[in-house]
Amino acid sequence: MSQLLQAAAYGVVQGGLLGLVAVGFSLVWGVMNVINLSHGALAVTGAYLAWLLNLHFGLDPFLALPVVAIALFLFGYALQRGLINLVINAPIFLTLLLTFGLGLVILNSLQLLFNADDRTIETSYASQSLALGTVNVPYGRLAACGLALAITVGLAAVMTRTRLGHSISATGMDRGAARLMGIRARHVYAITFGISAALAGVAGTMIATVGSFNPTTTPGQLTLDAFVISVLGGLGNMYGALVGGLVLGIAESVGGLVLTGTWVNAIAMAVLILTLIVRPSGLIGKAQYSGRVEV
Amino acid sequence: MLEIEKLNAGYGRVQVLWDVDLAVEAKQIVALVGANGAGKTTLLRAISGMIAVRSGGVKFRDRDIAGASIESIVDLGIAHVPEGRRLFSGLTVRENLVLGGWRRNNRDLSRVVALFPVLGQRLNQVASTLSGGEQQMCAIARGLMSEPSLLLIDELSLGLAPIMVDEIVGRLPEIAASGTAVLLVEQDIDTALTVSETAYVLETGRITRSGSSRELLADATIQAAYLGLESQ
Repeated sequence: MSQLLQAAAYGVVQGGLLGLVAVGFSLVWGVMNVINLSHGALAVTGAYLAWLLNLHFGLDPFLALPVVAIALFLFGYALQRGLINLVINAPIFLTLLLTFGLGLVILNSLQLLFNADDRTIETSYASQSLALGTVNVPYGRLAACGLALAITVGLAAVMTRTRLGHSISATGMDRGAARLMGIRARHVYAITFGISAALAGVAGTMIATVGSFNPTTTPGQLTLDAFVISVLGGLGNMYGALVGGLVLGIAESVGGLVLTGTWVNAIAMAVLILTLIVRPSGLIGKAQYSGRVEV
Repeated sequence: MLEIEKLNAGYGRVQVLWDVDLAVEAKQIVALVGANGAGKTTLLRAISGMIAVRSGGVKFRDRDIAGASIESIVDLGIAHVPEGRRLFSGLTVRENLVLGGWRRNNRDLSRVVALFPVLGQRLNQVASTLSGGEQQMCAIARGLMSEPSLLLIDELSLGLAPIMVDEIVGRLPEIAASGTAVLLVEQDIDTALTVSETAYVLETGRITRSGSSRELLADATIQAAYLGLESQ
């Protein structure tokens, strides 16, 4: 029983983190209809940046977050404006191909720069845990999960309350009509991609703080997780990503008690397939803007 | 205010508009009429920048806007109420109107609510649940939220009950008098020629007739071709 509780608690904090990986991925998919296969690579780029800042300047990963977020935002903005925008109207196969290739370029560059070793950001609080009865929750994971929750709520508020959020949703719903309102769609797309990249960077930093990462297997795993969670929770829906992350985190963690190793991936897929059979639009439902109309 | 000279435009390799000349003066209502497929929608799209202009001039307040982006044309003061209305259907009326004023950050709904009082009662209703006529009002109001000096309206009457068309068309003189000229595209030629001062007839991409709406309405060939009336 205590083993189950421990697994469930771990699943919750891990799930929050996975939700943070997925929320930006889901945003880009919902607004731009781009399945960004380089999302995991962007997350790992953020992880390396935080790792470098910690290694050379002793900066705590939580304090490094703003730097990572801004750097990844600018990188994401430029990527969208200069590269992904070229295929934004192309069939989805082309955007898949481009973002897959982009991911390969990024992760091979990282491997060239830092080799393929597993890395982790060492912190004084990494080994300390909050004890709740028989259940132990590491402080780092708890903070990461709390941050994921705060970011998701914050992003949802930005989308529904602010001028920027309105322009993003309108562009996602009907780009042609949004442009007739004077909304600069290309700029909005680039900002959306920048936000997504920044969130990926933040998620990557958190992963590096509570676990380890490397340039070869981590990006693909994160992209796969983000994909499963986005579809599971409901495309483009911020809270959907969070709930999808929690469901996946708990399922993998509890399922890991019974099954071993890579079978955990099978659990993720089984959860996805079962959900889609019961609720095709995802657990929370698709966001309003994910049913797009072209010019 | 809007001067179009020898405009050629189309989609891809297909040319739709041939040497089109058209002018709209400030505070004027101008009708653009013609059969289905004549190129009326294409002309509005060329004005608002939704499609590229191949050659010819589009001048708005003495600035050349041919080839300018949709967004910059909105900035200059042209609002386009597109065919099919294209409301943000999952959003409320209020959200749609606020998006209409997005560029100028205009959130003051009083002008458009005064114009279409029924929208005032529907502000918190989701746009897709409005009746067709209310959706058209919402689309026109959304266009007006950018405080344009020229409003392009595509197929105002499409799919609407005649009483609703009269209701909405009846507001156009008020819109024009308040400083927003209207270029109205219509298949319902009777309505269009009645409300406008000047009109242009577009046939297979060319302007074939133009002049005072009253004269065109009385013209026997127009009556025979578009209104199904036999000439006496």
